[in-house]
Amino acid sequence: MVVISRHQVFSLLFLVGSFIFSAFLLIMIECEFLALLFVVIYVGAISVLFLFSVMMLESKFQNLSKNTIRYLPVSLLFGFFFTLPLVGALQSHFRSDLIDSPLSFLNSFRNWYDLIDSVKDVEAYGQILYSYYVFQLLVSGLILLVIIVGVVFLTNNFNQRYSKYQSVFKQLSRNSKPFLKKI
Amino acid sequence: MTEKLVFNTSSVVSLDYFSVFSEYFISTSAIYILIICSLITYNTYNLIVQKALSNCIALILLMSCYLLLNDDCLTLNFLNFHNSIISDQLSFFTKFIICLFSAIYFFFIAGTLKEQNLVSFEYLVVVLLAVLGLITLCSSQDLLTAYLSIELISLSSYILASFKKTSSYSIEAGLKYFVTGAISSALFLLGSSFIYFFSGSLNIQDLQDLFADSLFSPNSSEIWQYYNIYENPINQEGASLEYHIQLFEILQQLNLPYLIEEMCQQYNFMLSYDVEASIVAHFNFLEYGLTLILFSLFIKLALAPFHLWSLDVYEGSPTPSSFFFAALAKLSIFVFLLRFCYIAFPELNHCWQFYSVCVGVLSVFVGSFGGLKQKKIKTLLAYSSTSHMGYALLAFSTAHSFGVQMLLFYLTIYMLSGLSTWFIFLLLRLKRKSTFQKHSKELGDFVLLRKANSMLALALSITMFSVAGIPPLVGFFAKMGVFLAVVKNGNFSIEFYSVALVSVLCSVISTFYYIRIVKVLYFENMVVGKLYYPINTYSTVLLGFLVFLLLFLFINPTLLYLVTYKVGFLFCPLISNL
Repeated sequence: MVVISRHQVFSLLFLVGSFIFSAFLLIMIECEFLALLFVVIYVGAISVLFLFSVMMLESKFQNLSKNTIRYLPVSLLFGFFFTLPLVGALQSHFRSDLIDSPLSFLNSFRNWYDLIDSVKDVEAYGQILYSYYVFQLLVSGLILLVIIVGVVFLTNNFNQRYSKYQSVFKQLSRNSKPFLKKI
Repeated sequence: MTEKLVFNTSSVVSLDYFSVFSEYFISTSAIYILIICSLITYNTYNLIVQKALSNCIALILLMSCYLLLNDDCLTLNFLNFHNSIISDQLSFFTKFIICLFSAIYFFFIAGTLKEQNLVSFEYLVVVLLAVLGLITLCSSQDLLTAYLSIELISLSSYILASFKKTSSYSIEAGLKYFVTGAISSALFLLGSSFIYFFSGSLNIQDLQDLFADSLFSPNSSEIWQYYNIYENPINQEGASLEYHIQLFEILQQLNLPYLIEEMCQQYNFMLSYDVEASIVAHFNFLEYGLTLILFSLFIKLALAPFHLWSLDVYEGSPTPSSFFFAALAKLSIFVFLLRFCYIAFPELNHCWQFYSVCVGVLSVFVGSFGGLKQKKIKTLLAYSSTSHMGYALLAFSTAHSFGVQMLLFYLTIYMLSGLSTWFIFLLLRLKRKSTFQKHSKELGDFVLLRKANSMLALALSITMFSVAGIPPLVGFFAKMGVFLAVVKNGNFSIEFYSVALVSVLCSVISTFYYIRIVKVLYFENMVVGKLYYPINTYSTVLLGFLVFLLLFLFINPTLLYLVTYKVGFLFCPLISNL
């Protein structure tokens, strides 16, 4: 839905949706840290970045799906040759001779080791990052500190109270009625 | 008759000792300065604490030099922080040099910040954190720590390059530096991910244990000599079947299936192993990673043909920032290159040696010929910096310890003469009638300096002669050492006579634009020159000391030679020139 929407903001909405759903999938395969990273970084930073750039471009509604029927045969050909190796690569990892074994009714795989000693991946990150890689953690903290100092300095207008500037909001919110005359 | 296979074990020990005192001190003082100065200057945008803060930071860096000298475990060679920080002779020497020269840098820019209009204290805090990045890069034994240090240096440099918000040149320089530096950091990460994929470790000592002394490295002659296997391993009578089986069992324990595949090819030995389970990655992946990392570090060092960003960045940035980029930020990247190529991957002749020689010669050529038509001073100094890094890279590519010694000597002399050059350039403040007359940027702004300030003209000409490599100054020894290292026959290198010839000729050509500055100072036929402010005693004493060092080190370079010899000799045990 991202690529066939009529307007960029709809595409962004579906992009945010696809990031959130991929985060859900990651939670299901027990990678919670990566799922939360997806939500924070992809949705929180990158999608917001795209949203701001789309907002500043201000494009109108266009009928982008006018010529879809003309491109359909070539697109089907490309799509077929694109998905075929992917499906083939997936199929080579699954075996189909389990139909005769008596264990083929068991659909669940039990990892017995995990019952005894399992650590969630956030805990694992904490255990390793704060003990073995303390120095690197502190250096990356200092990197973020440099970024904050630089951003605060570079984007701040320190002389604003001394300079005269125009207030665009006040200019645009004027009541235009007393200044128009009917001819 | 079973023969034992002996692998070369790690030659450093891992100590439980807090060895990063100087980094700790610099980081806590940077945070302390940030808090205090933002509380002092939150309401005003004037010049309050600039000069005092700059001198204070210089004292902080001198204190960190003292902390380095005062270490208990000074002569040991040990790893720390889960094998990611190394404290050996090389890291100690380079950290000391960087702290000392950075302290001199802060003393130098104390008085010039006001007239450069860089009045906020954030400038000094960002430079201090960049110096911290330089120091951590010198002692990093891990690709991850190195990447974080490079990012610390680079991010501080982007901010420093774009610090003057009123000048569009400065903003443009900052943007160009940011884009180029981000690309090179991304390539560094890609290269290190290839190396991690292939070997399972990012640690340089682990990479040495895995690859430098492996049985299938053609350069490890000391292992082959135990087993009488030289050029023709297939038709060998002395090696028994038990030996092959023992080899195979050990290799299986190492879990490196590619080695098994190569061994089968070499010994013509058929095995029944699972073909689909063996990794199809070849040894070439490691070379891809190595080349990508070299590529990214060459971009950061502004070597040709990756030097085009440095011309605009050095020209557009404010002068103290260009001073920092050109003079101080180069040594630690070379230190990391030394650790990475000499210790982790001494698979020299076919991967990094030839590449370094080509890039070095090209840098020397481009730096010499590019500066000939330049009229702007900072671009001229950028081209000269490119050619100097080319000479240093030639000394680096020689793969013996004499080359390492000459590299360290050359970089120290380069930092010394770079400090003098840029400081003199900063000192020349025009006495201007209106604010339209800017800071001196062109070559013609130096005219009649012999009348305005004759000692300064003498100092500048001595520095220019040293940079050019004219004999009674120490720059001559530096260049001569590089050329001697290039033509020396070593264990893993041949004599590159043609490279030395081309470099000497380009050095002669580059002498032109250094001597042209001296010509403009002394021999220009103008009647009216520019009027400069006088310099205070403080700066004069420091500058006089530096120029004296340039003269004195020619007569007696022994201290520097001794220290660099010791560092270079102890640094690479596998590659010695014995």
